[in-house]
Amino acid sequence: MGGAHVASGRESLGPIGRRADGGMKRKLALLLVLAIALAALPFVGLPQSWESILYLVFHWIALATSWNLLSGYAGYFSFGHGAFFGIGMYTTAVLTTRFDMPFAWTLPLAALAAALFGSALGAVAFRVRSVRGEVFALLTLAATFVLATVILNTPIDGGPGVYLNAVAVPTLARTASGSFYLLALGAAALALVVAVVVFHSRFGIGLFAIRDDEDVAEVMGVPTYRYKLVALALSSGIAGLVGGVQALFVAYVTTADTFGIALPLTVVLMAVLGGTRHWAGPAVGAIAITALLLGFTSADNAIAGRVVLGLVLIGVILFLPDGLLGGWMKRGARVRRLEGDAAARAVGADEIAAAAASPALREPSNPDAPVLLRTRKLAKSFDGVRALDGVDVEIRRGEILGLLGPNGSGKSTFINVVSGHYLASGGQVEFDGRPLARLAAHRVARSGIARTYQIPRPFAHLTVLENVALSAMFGAGSLGRRQAEAEAWEWLRFTGLASRAGSLPDSLNLHQRKFLEFARALAARPQLLMLDEVLSGLTPSEIDAAVALIERIRAGGTTIVFVEHVMRAVAALCDRVLIFDRGELLASGSFAEVMARPEVVRAYLGQEDEGASPAGAVEPEAVHAA
Amino acid sequence: MTLPSAGLLAQAVVGGIFTGAVYGLLGLGLSLSWGLLRQINLAQFGLAFASAYLAYELQQHGIDALFALVLLPPVFFVIGAALQWVVERFRVTPFNSLLVSFGITIILEALIQWIWTADYRRLETPYGDLKLKLAGVYLPLPEMITLAISAALAAAVWLVMRRSDIGRAIRAAAEDAPIAIAFGIHQKALALGLAGLNAALAAIAGVCIALTYTLAPSQIFAWVGVVFAVVMLGGLGRPWGPLIAGCAIGVVEALTMAIAAPAWAPLVSFSLLLLLLLCRPGRA
Amino acid sequence: MLLELTSIRVAYGAAVALWDVSLSVGAGELLCVVGPNSAGKSTLINTIAGLHRLAAGSFMFDGQDLSRMPAHRFCAQGIALVPESRRLFTGMSVRENLELGSYIPSARAHRAQSLERVCALFPMLASRLAQPAGSLSGGQQQMVAIGRALMARPRLLLLDEPSLGLAPSVVNDMFRAIRQVHADGIAMLLVEQNVGKALEVADRGAVLEEGRIVASGSPAELARRPEIRRAYLGADLEAPAPG
Repeated sequence: MGGAHVASGRESLGPIGRRADGGMKRKLALLLVLAIALAALPFVGLPQSWESILYLVFHWIALATSWNLLSGYAGYFSFGHGAFFGIGMYTTAVLTTRFDMPFAWTLPLAALAAALFGSALGAVAFRVRSVRGEVFALLTLAATFVLATVILNTPIDGGPGVYLNAVAVPTLARTASGSFYLLALGAAALALVVAVVVFHSRFGIGLFAIRDDEDVAEVMGVPTYRYKLVALALSSGIAGLVGGVQALFVAYVTTADTFGIALPLTVVLMAVLGGTRHWAGPAVGAIAITALLLGFTSADNAIAGRVVLGLVLIGVILFLPDGLLGGWMKRGARVRRLEGDAAARAVGADEIAAAAASPALREPSNPDAPVLLRTRKLAKSFDGVRALDGVDVEIRRGEILGLLGPNGSGKSTFINVVSGHYLASGGQVEFDGRPLARLAAHRVARSGIARTYQIPRPFAHLTVLENVALSAMFGAGSLGRRQAEAEAWEWLRFTGLASRAGSLPDSLNLHQRKFLEFARALAARPQLLMLDEVLSGLTPSEIDAAVALIERIRAGGTTIVFVEHVMRAVAALCDRVLIFDRGELLASGSFAEVMARPEVVRAYLGQEDEGASPAGAVEPEAVHAA
Repeated sequence: MTLPSAGLLAQAVVGGIFTGAVYGLLGLGLSLSWGLLRQINLAQFGLAFASAYLAYELQQHGIDALFALVLLPPVFFVIGAALQWVVERFRVTPFNSLLVSFGITIILEALIQWIWTADYRRLETPYGDLKLKLAGVYLPLPEMITLAISAALAAAVWLVMRRSDIGRAIRAAAEDAPIAIAFGIHQKALALGLAGLNAALAAIAGVCIALTYTLAPSQIFAWVGVVFAVVMLGGLGRPWGPLIAGCAIGVVEALTMAIAAPAWAPLVSFSLLLLLLLCRPGRA
Repeated sequence: MLLELTSIRVAYGAAVALWDVSLSVGAGELLCVVGPNSAGKSTLINTIAGLHRLAAGSFMFDGQDLSRMPAHRFCAQGIALVPESRRLFTGMSVRENLELGSYIPSARAHRAQSLERVCALFPMLASRLAQPAGSLSGGQQQMVAIGRALMARPRLLLLDEPSLGLAPSVVNDMFRAIRQVHADGIAMLLVEQNVGKALEVADRGAVLEEGRIVASGSPAELARRPEIRRAYLGADLEAPAPG
C-alpha cells in the first residue's frame, strides 16, 4: 500500500502546524524566553516612554487574546468584552478605595468577579439554542449597557467616578511605570499561555469544531454547553485581570470610559486583523493596531486614527477575511494541497482498491443475538406534521439492518432522532438496556452510537486527520489527544484516506468525503453505526468499494443501520430490512421477502387508480421528511 | 419616590411617544434590512447622523431643513445601493456585514467629528419653537412633524409591502430567493433597491433628529441599544413594528424618568433587549 | 420541438450530477422522467428552470439558446416551475402566492383571467384564497404550487415530484388536474417517483439513472422494461433465492 511519503503518526500535519504535543512545548518555551527577556528591560534602562508604549501593547495583547478564546476559537463573537474589563476595573477601584485592600490582592478578585459575571451570562445565553451569531453579539452589547447603567446609578460609582490616586502601586520595578509594565507583561503572558495550551488541547479542538458546525460537534460527543461556558469564563476572567491593572494605571475610573463602545470594537478589530483561528492572531493584530494608533496620538489625529481603524476593519473583512495569519496559513495549505493532490491521485486509487480487496468474512447474523437498540412508539413532529408516527423497532447486535422507503417516509428522521440530532416528540429509545430518548446529543455519542450524514458535514477548518481524531476523542472511546491521533491514523488507513490526512475537507472529492464520514463515525468506536444514504452520488465502482468497507466494519463487530436507495447494495448487505412509509413501519423481514409484498411494491411504485375518491373526502395531514 | 402630577405624567407620555417616533424612524430601515436582507446594518446610525449634520449645514447656508428632507434621501439612496453592491460583490457573510457596517459607522462618526467638531450643534429653524397646547400638554412642532413623517413612512412601506407586486416580490425573495428568481423576480436588483431605500430612510430619520435634538458625534452609539430593542420587539421586517414598539418603549422610558431617576431610563430598554434576545431571538 | 437538451452536463463543483443527458419535449407533450433517488432528476428540472448552469451541452427552448440566460429571465421565456416539496411562500396568503406566479409582465396583464382558471381547476382553493399558504395541508399546498406556476401562463410546465409525501386519494386528484392541464395544451416535464401514475398520464417517458438517460420511449414500452422494476425494487426477483 502506498504511503512512503506519508508522515508518521507522531506528526499530524495541518495548515496550522498544530501538533499534538511537541509543538505546544516549543511555543511555551519560546513565550517564556520572550517574557523573561522583556521583563528584564526595565532593569536595564528602558526609557519611560517606551515603558508606557509597551504597557499599551501588552494591555491590548492580553485583551484581544482573551477575547479570542471564546469568540475566535468557538466562533461566538462577543461585543461584551468591555463589560468584563469594566467589572475588573471597578472591583479593584472599589476594593482599594473603599475597603483599603492592597492592590495586589484585588487582582485575582477582579478576575474572579469578571469570570463570575461572564459565566452567569453564558449559563443563561448558551441554554437558548438560537442565540448564536449576531444575536449573541447583540446580547453581550446589551449586557454591557445594562451593567454600565447599574454601576453608574448605584453606590458602586454613583456618578463622579472613583479616584485611585491614594492607592499604593506595588514596587515591582524601580518606577511606577516600570511596575505597570511588568504587570501588563504578566497579563499578556498569561493570556498567551492560556491561548496556546487551549489551542493544543482536546478542549481547544472541541471549540474549533463548535465554530465550524456546532450541531455536528454536539452529535460527535463534544459537550458544547460546558465548553463554551469554560471558554467564556477564561476569557472574561483574564479581561477582568487586565481591567484591575488598568484601574490603578489610569487612577480614575468612570463608566463612560470603561463601558463605551471603543474597547469591544478595538478588540474585535485586532483579533480579526490578526486572524481569529490562530492563538497568536490577536497578538499580531494588537501589535499592528497599537503601532498604527500611536502614529495618530494628537487630538486631530485621533480622529484620523478612527477613520483608519474603520477602514482597516472594512478592508480586512473584504479582502482578508481570515486575517493576516489566516491568509498566510491558507497559502501554506494551498501549497500542501497541490502537492497532496498529485500524490493522492497516484496513491489514493490504489489505497481504496486495496482496502476494498481485503477479504471480509460474511457471517450470517444471529437471529437470537441480544437486542442492542429498541424503540417504542417513537414519534417526531415538525410544526404539526408527523414525520415519525409511533415506530417500534428492534435492532439486534451484529446485524446489518436496512431502512428503506420512499422519500419523505421518515427514515432519515429516525436516524436523526436516535442519534440525538433531533429531540423525540414522543416514545422511548433504549440502547443497551439504558433509556436514551431525552439525552443531550453528546451523551448519545458517548454511549456508543455514531452516524454519518447524507450530505457530508466535515469540520471545514480542521484537517482530515483532526476531523477523525475529534471523534476518537469525544466518542465512546474518549481518548486523549495523542492517542486519538494515533487511532485516527488507523481509521484513515482502513478507509484509504491516509494520504489526505493533512488536507482540508474541501479538497476531497465526494467519494473521499463520504469515506471521511465513515472514518469519523468509526473512530468513535461505536457499538451502533448509522449510515444515512452514504452511497448516493457514487459511481458503481465506488459503491462496490463502499460495500466492501461496510462488510469489513460489520466483521469487526459493529452493528449497522443503513438508510439507502441503492438496491443492489441493500440486497448484498442487509440481513433484515424495514420499510418506512409516511412515518410508519410498513413491513420488516429479509430483503427478498419484503420486496415481494404487494403493499411495499405499491408504496414504491405508486398504485393503480382506485377509482373516484369519495366526495368531500378530507385530505389527511401530509407528511414531510425533516 | 413621589408620584408626579397628572399633568407631568401626561407630558411624559406624550414626550415618550415623540421619542418613540424617532426610534421608529431609525428602526424602520434597520428592521427591513434585518428582516428582508438578513443583514444587521449598523451603518443606519452613521448614515442617519451624517444626514442630520448635513441638514444642519444646509440650514447654516439658508436652506431649510424641510428641503433637506427632499434633497438628501435620493443621494443616500445611491449610497445605500452602492454599499449593498460592494457587500454582494465580496460575498460578505451576514455576520461579517455587521462588522463592515460597524466600520462604516466608525468612519462616519470620525468624519463628522472632524468636520463639525465635538461641540454641540443645534439646528435652528424659524418654526422650531412653535408649540401647540392641547389639554394642558405641550406639542412642539418639530416633534409633531417627526411623528407625522414616521407614521406616514410606516404606512407607505406597509402599503407597498402588502399591496404592491414589488412588495410581494421583495417578501418572496427574502423567504426563498431561488424560487422567487424562477418566477421572474430580479432578486439582485431588488436587494440593491431595498438597501437604497433603507439608506434613504436613514437620511429622513437624520433630518428629523436634527430638527428635534441637539447633535453631537458621541450621540451616534447612544441610540444603538434602544433601537435594537425596538426593532426586535416590533418584529423583523414589519413596517409598523418599529413605530409601535418605539412608542411603547419611549413611553415606558419617559415614565421611568418622571417617576424614578432619569439615569435609570436606559436600563429599561437594555433589559428589555436582553430579555427579548433570550426569549425571542428574532430570527426572521 | 419546444425544449431540446443536447448532451448536457451539470456539476456541483467537482461532483457531476448529469452526464451527457439529451431529451426533448414537443409543444403540448407530456414527458415523464423517472428514476431512483439521487439519479439527478431534481438537478435536471432545476437546470431547465434556470437555477443551474450547464457545464457543457446545449439548451434550446423554442429556438432560443438559454444556456447563457440569467436565471430570472427564464420565466418570461415561458417556463414555469412546480418545485419539489412545494416551496410556497408560507408567509403569504394563497392569493398572494398565486398572484406572485404572474409577476412577469406578460402574465400580469391576464392575471384575473388566470386566477379564474386556476380556481376552476382546483375548486377547493377558491374558498381558501385568504388563508396563509403555510396552514394548508400537503395536498392543498401542491395544488397552490401548480396553480402558481400556471399563473405564469407557461408553455412548458416543470413538475418536480408532485406526489411526494401525499396520501393516495390526494395523489389521484392531483393527477386528474395534471391530465386537465395536459388537455389544455401546455407542454409538461414531469419528474416522478410514483412510476405507475406517471406512465399513465405521459405521452413519452425516460428513465434517469445516476445522471444518465438509460431508457426512453412510450409508456407502454417502458413499463415492460426491466430497468424500471430493477431501479425501484432491487435485484432481478425472477432469479431463484439462494438456499
